[in-house]
Amino acid sequence: MRGSRRLRFARGWRIARVLLSTQYAYMLEYRAEIALWALSGVLPLIMLGVWSGSEAAGGLGLSPERLSRYFLSAFVVRQFTIVWLVHVFEEDALQGRLSPYLLQPLHPLWRYLASHLSEQATRLPFVVLIMAIFFLFQPAAFWLPSPGGFLLAVVAIHLAFLLRFLFQTVITMLCFWTERAAALERLLLIPYLFLSGLVAPLEAFPEGVRAFALLTPFPAMLSFPAQLLAGEPVDLAGGLITIGVWAALLLPLALWLWQAGLRRYSAMGA
Amino acid sequence: MPIISARGLSKTYRVADKQPGLGGTLRHFFARRSRDVQAVSDVNFTIEPGEIVGFLGPNGAGKTTTLKMLTGLIHPSAGEVEVAGCVPFRRQAGFLRQITLVMGQKQQLIWDLPPLDSLRVNAAVYGIDDSEAKRRIDELAGMLDLGEELTRPVRKLSLGQRMKAELLAALLHRPAVLFLDEPTLGLDVNAQARVREFLADYNRRHGATVLLTSHYMADITALCRRVLLIHQGRLFYDGSLDGLTERLAPHREVRFELRDPPPAAAFASYGTFESQDGQQLRLLVPRSELTATVGRLLADFDVLDLEVSDPPIEEIIGRLFRQGAVS
Amino acid sequence: MRNLRLLRRFWATSLAADLEYQVNVLIELLAVGGNLAGSLFVLSLLFGQGGSLGGWSWEEALVVLGLYTLLDGITSTVLQPNLSTIVTHVREGTLDFVLLKPVDSQFWLSARTFSPWGLPGVAAGLALIVVAAAQAGARPDGASVVAALVLLLSSTLILYSLWFVLAATSIWFVKVWNATEVLRAALVAGRYPVSAYPVALRTFFTFVLPVAFLTTVPAEAILGRGSAPWLLASLAVAAFCLLGSRKFWQFALRFYTSASS
Repeated sequence: MRGSRRLRFARGWRIARVLLSTQYAYMLEYRAEIALWALSGVLPLIMLGVWSGSEAAGGLGLSPERLSRYFLSAFVVRQFTIVWLVHVFEEDALQGRLSPYLLQPLHPLWRYLASHLSEQATRLPFVVLIMAIFFLFQPAAFWLPSPGGFLLAVVAIHLAFLLRFLFQTVITMLCFWTERAAALERLLLIPYLFLSGLVAPLEAFPEGVRAFALLTPFPAMLSFPAQLLAGEPVDLAGGLITIGVWAALLLPLALWLWQAGLRRYSAMGA
Repeated sequence: MPIISARGLSKTYRVADKQPGLGGTLRHFFARRSRDVQAVSDVNFTIEPGEIVGFLGPNGAGKTTTLKMLTGLIHPSAGEVEVAGCVPFRRQAGFLRQITLVMGQKQQLIWDLPPLDSLRVNAAVYGIDDSEAKRRIDELAGMLDLGEELTRPVRKLSLGQRMKAELLAALLHRPAVLFLDEPTLGLDVNAQARVREFLADYNRRHGATVLLTSHYMADITALCRRVLLIHQGRLFYDGSLDGLTERLAPHREVRFELRDPPPAAAFASYGTFESQDGQQLRLLVPRSELTATVGRLLADFDVLDLEVSDPPIEEIIGRLFRQGAVS
Repeated sequence: MRNLRLLRRFWATSLAADLEYQVNVLIELLAVGGNLAGSLFVLSLLFGQGGSLGGWSWEEALVVLGLYTLLDGITSTVLQPNLSTIVTHVREGTLDFVLLKPVDSQFWLSARTFSPWGLPGVAAGLALIVVAAAQAGARPDGASVVAALVLLLSSTLILYSLWFVLAATSIWFVKVWNATEVLRAALVAGRYPVSAYPVALRTFFTFVLPVAFLTTVPAEAILGRGSAPWLLASLAVAAFCLLGSRKFWQFALRFYTSASS
């Protein structure tokens, strides 16, 4: 049935194109809010401020230049790996907007993925602007990654985003059972904050904690792509394998939870 | 071969039971209690292709729940249902392409963008190629009298225009069955009339089956030859509309205003006394005696103002319920 | 006072709404605990093998962290639940109802709700302050306790004013309702003593975004290092901010009432 497979692919491609362009037009209407969301991601830059002055950085061989590159890269990675699925999904489910999606022959999760990607595209100019302002105040920190390294970093950022999206999808599915799924996501943000390398580079971790962190998916979501972007030596294979393994675990879980969740949704009253 | 069939359809919900006040809050926090609510009980009916059927009933009667069970959004607690040859709650793609649901005052179109953008998405999702989609949009827009509204953001459209755009988007994929939940809710009289005309026209042209819930009698009288009356989750009546009006609303309501109203007992010979509000009085008069009674009222009293109308549907159904089931 | 009785009634109703969900309690306790543990972890990383961060010892830095946690708890308890509603009111047109009530509108909007979920943060912050200050060798004599409380009050007022002014701008720009998120993100800098930052940021955090007055200055007072000039400056900034917020609100209302249809 090669013909039908090609047809399905063509249809899928068309849906993706239309969804992305429509969502992008939609996100442009919310430019101002998105600009502010980009601005509210300054945490890595504040941490850079603290780390620069600390004695510990010197002791670990983290030069100010290296710290700048790392935290700036962390800032960029964070901007493009933010997932807000649980909040919109919960809202849609409560407001009854989920039902119309369920009645169309398209898995609703594709719509949310498209809106995330469109939001990132809308966010891009503001992120560039913030970085430009940063470099204005700290011209010494400016660097340009090699083309190969940059490409690799972009791929890694997208993979990290997909992993985060998958992770949050699993949590979002809990919306069918509890009204506190968003709160649970906020809770899980805490280990992400501290173990992913967002507030402290993984090198600064004591050996035991670092080993523990590497067992979680969090460093793969931030530290891995950030180090690639900053041009630091990084275990490429290790990072990719980590992402792959976690994705392989989370994807079937997410799909199964979706089916179970829908059964419950239709039992409770859509 | 019926396109919709429901047998023994029922739905029960479990709801939490909480007392008001601070004490109730704390008690509820530590020990939840819940009870069962029967939203729909043992509903049976079949619908043939091309029919326009109305679900009539007061708020909370179970109309929307029944409709959602037919669309597959709600899983029945008991009974069987089949629509267009499929089991709705399995939500197979083949089933989804044959149905559509439109809910009054609920938006499916993207709020900040023109309807055309939402239509593009729908065309892609349902696999309608662009030229065919354009043809259908033109046809439907003509029937709905929509023009440049399709290029304006949805939030800038009036409620009536929005509803028409919603209908267009819902019908782009030419479904065999249309489910409409209170489609004229909140619309002004003209917009309501336009929507009704459109639905009748669409049914004539494409032979689609239409299921319509409403608590406006006018929607039903304009479109449906057959009605299903639902009250407190039960099917009270399934038959022609004429039969219903005949059997259940043999009375008309006469509202009149007197300068100096006498006590209620004075009206016993004119009809059933309903209510008095200062100078305003309401009487129920049998249809057959309407003209005579009105004449007598005008002759015997100093009437300032008089109006004749159908009693509200809630009263008709309420009376029906008090009399017992009608089948 | 009438306002106090009103406050009690407001908060009893919002408590009823919030306690619907038992899972909330568990989650919030875990969140506060987790956040604190993580913050302590990061602080320990910053200290590394050495013994100071910007001239502050470990215990002293913990006092700053405790103050931040306390203020964050206050934000979650009172500021965030109340002030985020201003945008909702503007957007849905219900601000009119607030203005027609026989209660001062700024009071109503600022104190209408009370979220118990911030209380664990308040408690944790207080505990941390007391424990860390004791370990740092601070002696709670009358003067420094009074100074500390006064500075804590002024921190709260400064924080409130910042939040309120930002929330009030939604009368003009409904679309930038999440400006308070930017504020919250920037205020994270208050976790660490202001001397830990490079000079440029230090000036920024003292004169532009008064983070220094929020946590570092009260911490110094608690540790017995408070000085009169800073105390007075802090009070002055607090009074200025509070008055500023009131004036700004009146200005915003004039605009609102003349612009709405």
